[in-house]
Amino acid sequence: MEKKGWDGFEIGAMLRSFDGATRDIATTLPENRPYSVSNSFTASVADWRIEKPLFNKDYCIDCQFCWVYCPDMSIIARDKKMIGIDFDHCKGCGICVEVCPTNPKSLLMFPEQKDEETALAEWPKKEKKADTEEKED
Amino acid sequence: MLEIRWHSRAGQGAVTGAKGLADVVSTTGKHVQAFAFYGSAKRGAAMTAYNRVDDKVVMNHEKFMRPDYVLVIDPALVYVADITANEKDNTIYIVTTHMSTDELIASQPKLEGRKVYTVDCIKIAQETIGKAIPNTPMLGALMKVSGMYDIEFFKESMVKVLKKLPQKIIDANMIAIQRAYDEVK
Amino acid sequence: MADTMELRDIEVWDGNMAASHALRQVQVDVVAAYPITPSTPIVENYAGFTANGYVDGEFVMTESEHGAMSCCIGAAAAGGRVATATSSQGFALMVETLYSASGMRLPIVLNVVNRAIGAPLNVNGDHSDMYMGRDSGWIQLDSYCPQNAYDLNFIAFKVSEDHDVRLPAMVHQDGFMTSHTAQGVHTLTDEAAFNFVGVYQPMNDMLDLDHPVTHGVQTEEDWHFEHKARQQHALMTAVLPKIQAAFDDFEKLTGRKYNLVEAYDMEDAEVAVVCMGTSVETAREVAEEMRAQGIKAGVVGIRVFRPWPLEQIAAVLKDVKAIAALDRSSPHGTVGALYNEISGTLFNTDTKAVLTNYIYGLGGRDLTKAHLVSIFTDLKANADAGKVTTPLQQYIGLRGPKLSFF
Repeated sequence: MEKKGWDGFEIGAMLRSFDGATRDIATTLPENRPYSVSNSFTASVADWRIEKPLFNKDYCIDCQFCWVYCPDMSIIARDKKMIGIDFDHCKGCGICVEVCPTNPKSLLMFPEQKDEETALAEWPKKEKKADTEEKED
Repeated sequence: MLEIRWHSRAGQGAVTGAKGLADVVSTTGKHVQAFAFYGSAKRGAAMTAYNRVDDKVVMNHEKFMRPDYVLVIDPALVYVADITANEKDNTIYIVTTHMSTDELIASQPKLEGRKVYTVDCIKIAQETIGKAIPNTPMLGALMKVSGMYDIEFFKESMVKVLKKLPQKIIDANMIAIQRAYDEVK
Repeated sequence: MADTMELRDIEVWDGNMAASHALRQVQVDVVAAYPITPSTPIVENYAGFTANGYVDGEFVMTESEHGAMSCCIGAAAAGGRVATATSSQGFALMVETLYSASGMRLPIVLNVVNRAIGAPLNVNGDHSDMYMGRDSGWIQLDSYCPQNAYDLNFIAFKVSEDHDVRLPAMVHQDGFMTSHTAQGVHTLTDEAAFNFVGVYQPMNDMLDLDHPVTHGVQTEEDWHFEHKARQQHALMTAVLPKIQAAFDDFEKLTGRKYNLVEAYDMEDAEVAVVCMGTSVETAREVAEEMRAQGIKAGVVGIRVFRPWPLEQIAAVLKDVKAIAALDRSSPHGTVGALYNEISGTLFNTDTKAVLTNYIYGLGGRDLTKAHLVSIFTDLKANADAGKVTTPLQQYIGLRGPKLSFF
């Protein structure tokens, strides 16, 4: 944010989310919204991460748990389908991985420098547990 | 400046009486003030209310007063309250009591030598309004003793002050005011 | 549309009734309150007016004064004309939220019916609560009688809601001495009263859905100072001219003249008392009586306590020889607040005035004309001697041996 003097901003402990008037903001996709400079959407926190979540769509069941639980609204979903991660705002907390219910998980944490192709190639296989095996039979 | 002190019990209507008087006096172009000492404000507790009347705006907000008139609207307060406090040589007392003025002074010697008038506002209120609310009859007595206003003018003005009450109650108050005016001695 | 009420030109109202009619006439949208003696009738009457169709508004009963002001803040941020009333311990509980209201630049009008703060518990009037609010960033206007309590509410709304101001305002009146004392009050018609203040003009309101805003943000050390500076700048530069303009408009409308500093008999005064509330009027009467005895006495009434009109007060007091600052609040550990303010105002000026301090009237203790005569007599001795002949801080109207400090 531009460093302004004491008389360089609007009065009150008040911030605007958008520049200018907005209409039907709820049906406008985030990338199309006129977010203001004081809105945290315009601030990248990518460098806060040590580890990053990567997404493997082969195992995803679109349960939306990750979307619900992400504290930074960094799971990108369209038409109730998970399509990826907003790496400008993801801080690498790992909650999405924690809540992912698939086997193997559709989201896993990797070192920040890991490339996606290698990660997907190394993705773990389905774990078979003794007790679940019996029930399945 | 005319100053009046009311001795009453919380719930007997001294504040309403003082404000009603202020209301009537105000319509005649004079400046008024009406206030009270509430204390703990428990129903039945002894209390005092005050009026100031003047030709110019009343700016004095001290509670201390040397009254021209002392109006006692509860008979027992003659004996338990300091009704002669801060009196002047010519302070006039109007006391609600079933006794005659002579009997009253005999029972409360500190009223000896004062200008004392008596009227039974409690009885009048009970017989007219149906409740022992002696405030409006006391105003009738005050009109007689002070000659402040013609009684017909005063009653007409009080009808306006009491306008939110049911007509039956207003009529009873008018009779009470007139009776006290006629009966005060 | 709310019903109008026919008022007589002069109504015999106490200060509470006067204030509540002002709230009705400006059609306050929201009053959120936790009623407390002696301010209760203000919000009670507003609730009655609302229930009976005389105000198109909402009365919200809250669980505490903290909740009441919090609700007022929410309603003001949403974009409504908002007011409430409180006193004493209730005011104390409100204090945290008072800073939020002013920091968020929300125009709320708070009627403070001044009352002592316990312990010991006391429902009567002194200025302890008013003094407690003096750093909270609110505009503080002071009434001396029921007429003032009525008039200053209109001034408060007009100034507070001005987009160059946007700061909340308190209208103070003395508990019981004004709030429960009925006197003649010259009224405005409902139409004239409403038009004086005008239709509420929202600013940054949350209900403007096309312009979403976040109110009450966190700043920390990197921006907090700038926000507070901006708030202080508005309070120090915008408010007094706006109050003066509102006073001028009000005089044109009603003939009643108010001033940032009320100076009575000050043109040639040698001695003067500076005070607030009902004491100002009683002191005016005594000053006139002192003049009849040859003492050139004057009275300075503080009409605007915050922002403090420093230059105007210095001008009024510049030729006086002896001044007494009368504080109706225990300063607990120093000199009285008015003494401090007057000292700070006169320091660095050319005045040679001698300044003393009187603590009086705590918990509703009567300030009699006799007390004021003794103060003016002290001041005359100070003026003649050209120095302080009494202790700097004296207690007046106190039982027992004399108490004084410094």
